[in-house]
Amino acid sequence: MDDGTTGRARKAPPAPLPEFDEETYLRLNPDVLMAVAEGKFRSAREHYEQYGRAEGRLAMAPRDLPRDKIIITARPGSTGEAPHTPLGAVDTIKLSSAGGLFVTGWVNDSLDRLDSVELYVAGWSVAFSAASLARVRRPDADQVARLATPHALGFWGFIYAARRLPTGKCNAVMRLKSGAELILIVNIESQDDLDLRSTVLNHLASAQYPGPAYFNSVSSIGRAIGSQLVDFSQMLTRKAVSTPYIERFHHGGRVPKASVIVCLYGKPDYLALQQALFSRQAGAEDYEFIYVCNSQALAERLLQEAAIAQLAYGLDITLILLGANAGFAAANNLGAAHARAKRLVFMNPDVFPKEPDFARRHLAQVEDLPALRTDIFGAALYYSDGSLMHAGMYFEADTMPGFLLEQKDDETILRVEHYGKGAPPEDAALLRPRPVPAVTGAFISMSSAWFEELEGFSQDYIFGHYEDADLCLRSLEAGRPAWLADLRLYHLEGKGSARQMVHEGAAAVNRWLFTHSWVEPVKAALLGPAPVHPALAEVRP
Amino acid sequence: MKILIIAMYHPELVRGGSQQMAHELFQGLKAVPGVEPVLLCSADYNSPAMFKSGARITGFDQRENEFLFLSYDYDYNWHKLPLPLQAEAFAVFLKRISPDVVHFHHFMAYGIDYLTLTRKILPDARIVFTAHEFMAICAADGHMVRKGDGSLCEQASQVRCHQCQPHFGPEEYFLREQWMKAHLHVVDLFTVPSRFMIEFYTRWGLDAEKFLHVPNGLQMPKFSAQAAAPARRNRFGFFGQMVDVKGLHVLLEAVNLLRAEGFDDFAVEINGENIQFATPARRKEIEDFLAEEAERPLAERRVSFNGGYPHGQLAARMARVDWVVVPSTWWEIFCLVISEAWHFGRPVIASNQGGPAERITDSKDGLLFELGDARALAETMRRAATEVGLWEKLAGGITPPEPREAMVQGYLAAYEAAAARQKLAAE
Repeated sequence: MDDGTTGRARKAPPAPLPEFDEETYLRLNPDVLMAVAEGKFRSAREHYEQYGRAEGRLAMAPRDLPRDKIIITARPGSTGEAPHTPLGAVDTIKLSSAGGLFVTGWVNDSLDRLDSVELYVAGWSVAFSAASLARVRRPDADQVARLATPHALGFWGFIYAARRLPTGKCNAVMRLKSGAELILIVNIESQDDLDLRSTVLNHLASAQYPGPAYFNSVSSIGRAIGSQLVDFSQMLTRKAVSTPYIERFHHGGRVPKASVIVCLYGKPDYLALQQALFSRQAGAEDYEFIYVCNSQALAERLLQEAAIAQLAYGLDITLILLGANAGFAAANNLGAAHARAKRLVFMNPDVFPKEPDFARRHLAQVEDLPALRTDIFGAALYYSDGSLMHAGMYFEADTMPGFLLEQKDDETILRVEHYGKGAPPEDAALLRPRPVPAVTGAFISMSSAWFEELEGFSQDYIFGHYEDADLCLRSLEAGRPAWLADLRLYHLEGKGSARQMVHEGAAAVNRWLFTHSWVEPVKAALLGPAPVHPALAEVRP
Repeated sequence: MKILIIAMYHPELVRGGSQQMAHELFQGLKAVPGVEPVLLCSADYNSPAMFKSGARITGFDQRENEFLFLSYDYDYNWHKLPLPLQAEAFAVFLKRISPDVVHFHHFMAYGIDYLTLTRKILPDARIVFTAHEFMAICAADGHMVRKGDGSLCEQASQVRCHQCQPHFGPEEYFLREQWMKAHLHVVDLFTVPSRFMIEFYTRWGLDAEKFLHVPNGLQMPKFSAQAAAPARRNRFGFFGQMVDVKGLHVLLEAVNLLRAEGFDDFAVEINGENIQFATPARRKEIEDFLAEEAERPLAERRVSFNGGYPHGQLAARMARVDWVVVPSTWWEIFCLVISEAWHFGRPVIASNQGGPAERITDSKDGLLFELGDARALAETMRRAATEVGLWEKLAGGITPPEPREAMVQGYLAAYEAAAARQKLAAE
């Protein structure tokens, strides 16, 4: 009993508790039973007086506990569970020289959800909110946590500081909603900026997402990672295009009528193949070719290929070599900046004329048709198996219910489809020249003035994919839809470059970015193969 | 008329049919008044001693008008060379020689794009291309034999070629065809040593009008028939490269079958080399057979291996056999061995496809058996060794092979035809 010798101010005496039953109170409140057993309280009554009454706990049991019915013995939320230190680990923290920060780990938050992952380093700190982190399956963590059913215990995040940060040891705190914490000391690894981008994009593409995996990956990017990655990649792109090596293999005195810009990546063979096949075309000498290479490793080989091509085929070639992968958009923008002609033709390395008079017919159409039809247009593209590959592009939207993604809102992702993919080669309806929602970047013919007006391809897109649709939609919004022209080429889709896991990651970011940028206008008037957009009136049958 | 003959390899450095014919033609043209032939042969890693620092083209062994093109880092996928210096040296050589006719006997080791380069450098020259196999059509060594089951292939396609050599996708075979045709387009006239090839190339898409049949012709040593004919005609000879498609394994299997039947009244002599170019499995099969044969008691040995032979030894080697067996498992474009056998009065037992089928009339001047069928060959050999009067009948039916001079005249006519086609194209 308190004899009043502690010097503390006495509390006001509690109201009398005539019917307080110590034994019953402990039975009703096992947490109090434990606390008393641990010596935290001297008695059940003391707990009741200090906390229990305020928490609305019953002081005594009803005489007859109703059968088959739960009764409430305290106000909801008032009986705080003792927080438990969670199981978890931080696997990786990588920091690049420009301030890209990548973190991966796992935490068993199957019951008590993760609130944040905080990193404290000498000189800086960062707190990743749980919402900003992507959650992924980690079967190894499931085993450690002995979960009966698998949960997405893994997490990863990325943030771009845009400044150099010191590395060293880091206090990593995984904080749960209950306030429970797991504190770990982790070494931060330093990584080159380009390598870090690859690491993150590889991780993005290869991680195991729960439920509808692709949707979950894109959805998790959307919360924060996507925009951070785009900023980070933009910085790398600007660096890559800032110091190009340019060599011209020209034949003096020619004034090209069209500049063909080809972005090369991973495969050097296609320069010679394209030159050999294009140079056979009547009127080929009216074209110059600008090859922009995103693969440093190909530089020497391409210099040799271009020199041989100049000797054997005689077309003007400009070779622009980059020290790092600037991506499709920036490479093409750079190529356009070095073009001599007012007509730009963006062409993939695996695109080849299907018609012997393609070169002349293309320029004839540019000269003869109204500007509205030629400011930006694509062509019918064919697979090598003879079937149609592309006769323009349109948009579809895929929606997944939010409950499958453990989020409140349903998620929509835009999809780009090609008119006539795999169709028989001669389908008049598909081949008819007409305005289309978009054309593929594998072949886009554009006036340089309109290209400049639109400020070129958006360099927000990482490596490649969706920048072509983005350009066409910007053109459409500015009043000039892309046209499908009466021209035919082969497109050996995907064969002209080397595709790796890192590109899958980039494609996911780009799809998120494209959706984020265009979902509203597309939903409004551009959905499906026969969209209602007034500028595309001819699309509708 | 100045004629530049371009060959893959010099036959004195690496033996082979196409280079032998190119060299025969070169020698033959030297004897034609008003014609100045120049020979350019490639040399590669097979002849490292021929390479000189910094040189791309050199002379050859103090021979007048014989040159070596020093080829390295060749891209066998696309059939092209990687270095501009090589192309520039070739271009300078073309300008320096300034021929009226450039006659390619191969593109390998140079690159198919050197055809286009030649047209670019010499816009007025006649370009003649002699196909000695199907290299332009078929990426599988130009043999048109399916890699999977060894069956003969009559039609290349992007999917079929991909099945044969899966490291290239169908699209790349499609491109390969476009690439080849883009360069073959500059050729004024094609020649082939066997007529059946024309059908292959035209089915592939080339213009039949541009093809001419010019059989191979050899200058052979003088030969007089043996004074006394042997009592039995049971000696069989194999002559040629010991690579897979020459089908030596079929002959050895036939020997096994004959032995198993209890028939061993015959002898087989193998005259060949270059077994190092056979696939490891086939090489082992042949080497194991020969090793086992060598272990047999002398009286039981039926197969002897004589190794390769210089041209001068051909008469002696031929004298030791009655029949020449050509068990090739591919189309066997022309088969110079048939010419050699005929020159020495030896009837040929050959696979019933391609060049041999075109040249040999079964049971008139030789015997044909089902290609790749060792049992059919065994039966044919048994018949040849035992049927009285058969050898004499077939030997009597042999038409002497085309001499070199006939081939030279054939090519001179081809050069004229090429000029006519050029004129036609210009109009």
